[in-house]
Amino acid sequence: MDKKTDALLSKMLKNWVNKQSPPDNGRARLLWEAAQASRSKFDLSALRLFPQHKAFSSSYSNDWPQTLFTWINENSFQLRIQARLS
Amino acid sequence: MSTCLEKKEATSDSNLIMSLQAGSLDALGLLYDRHRGLVFRTAIAITGDAEAAADLLHDVFLRLHRFASHVDPKRPLEPWLYRMTTNLSYTWVKRRQRWLRPLEDVADWLVGTHKDTPAYQAEMDDSWRQVQQAVSSLPLSHRGVVVLYYVNDLSLQEISEILDIPVGTVKSRLHYGRQALKQSLGLMAGEILPDLQYEFT
Repeated sequence: MDKKTDALLSKMLKNWVNKQSPPDNGRARLLWEAAQASRSKFDLSALRLFPQHKAFSSSYSNDWPQTLFTWINENSFQLRIQARLS
Repeated sequence: MSTCLEKKEATSDSNLIMSLQAGSLDALGLLYDRHRGLVFRTAIAITGDAEAAADLLHDVFLRLHRFASHVDPKRPLEPWLYRMTTNLSYTWVKRRQRWLRPLEDVADWLVGTHKDTPAYQAEMDDSWRQVQQAVSSLPLSHRGVVVLYYVNDLSLQEISEILDIPVGTVKSRLHYGRQALKQSLGLMAGEILPDLQYEFT
């Protein structure tokens, strides 16, 4: 008996769902956004591949809060320039 | 014949996923063309909202693009798409219940009788609305199972794997979902569809 019910419900639900269709511009919108995402991913990787900042030195680990603060100060300017150029 | 087979092989989901992992947007487009119906149907059946389903379709494929490296090309893509679609649809429904529904009710109240206008009525014909209301009135967990079973023709085992729940739970949710739908859609009366006698495991 389930089979009859299932067949009927399946048909009803499919008819209902098939009354609507995906938007026509969906593909173009998706590819545009994916391209944007790829581009920003590429830019970030370029930043990582060619870092123009000084490496965080572990030799100053005894005074790490001060070292970290100095490192951020020194490199934030460089990173901002890099971001504007890319 | 062999060229046809080679072409088919080249555009298999597995190869397209590998191309996508290598950064090909063409592969993403082909996968979208191939599977958008599946994702859209599932999303609209769970949310009951065409606009939301269109947004979810977009989100699912954007996530496929973003997380392509985590998708195993050796395994079928459909279960991944179903899982992502049901999860995002659940989130949408929960958010709507929490925030948007009360706001929409207030907006309707302020605007007046928008839902009584002929345009709205024409948009939502009776049978469509009945089915939508019947599905929307199901608890969310039952709705997912019902949609995957009736709309997407998946087996109990497949649903169990997609939703990560035991097969017994799928059966019981399907049973209650079926009963509720029968009642909502007025299928209880009549000799064609007598009471269900579902066997539990």
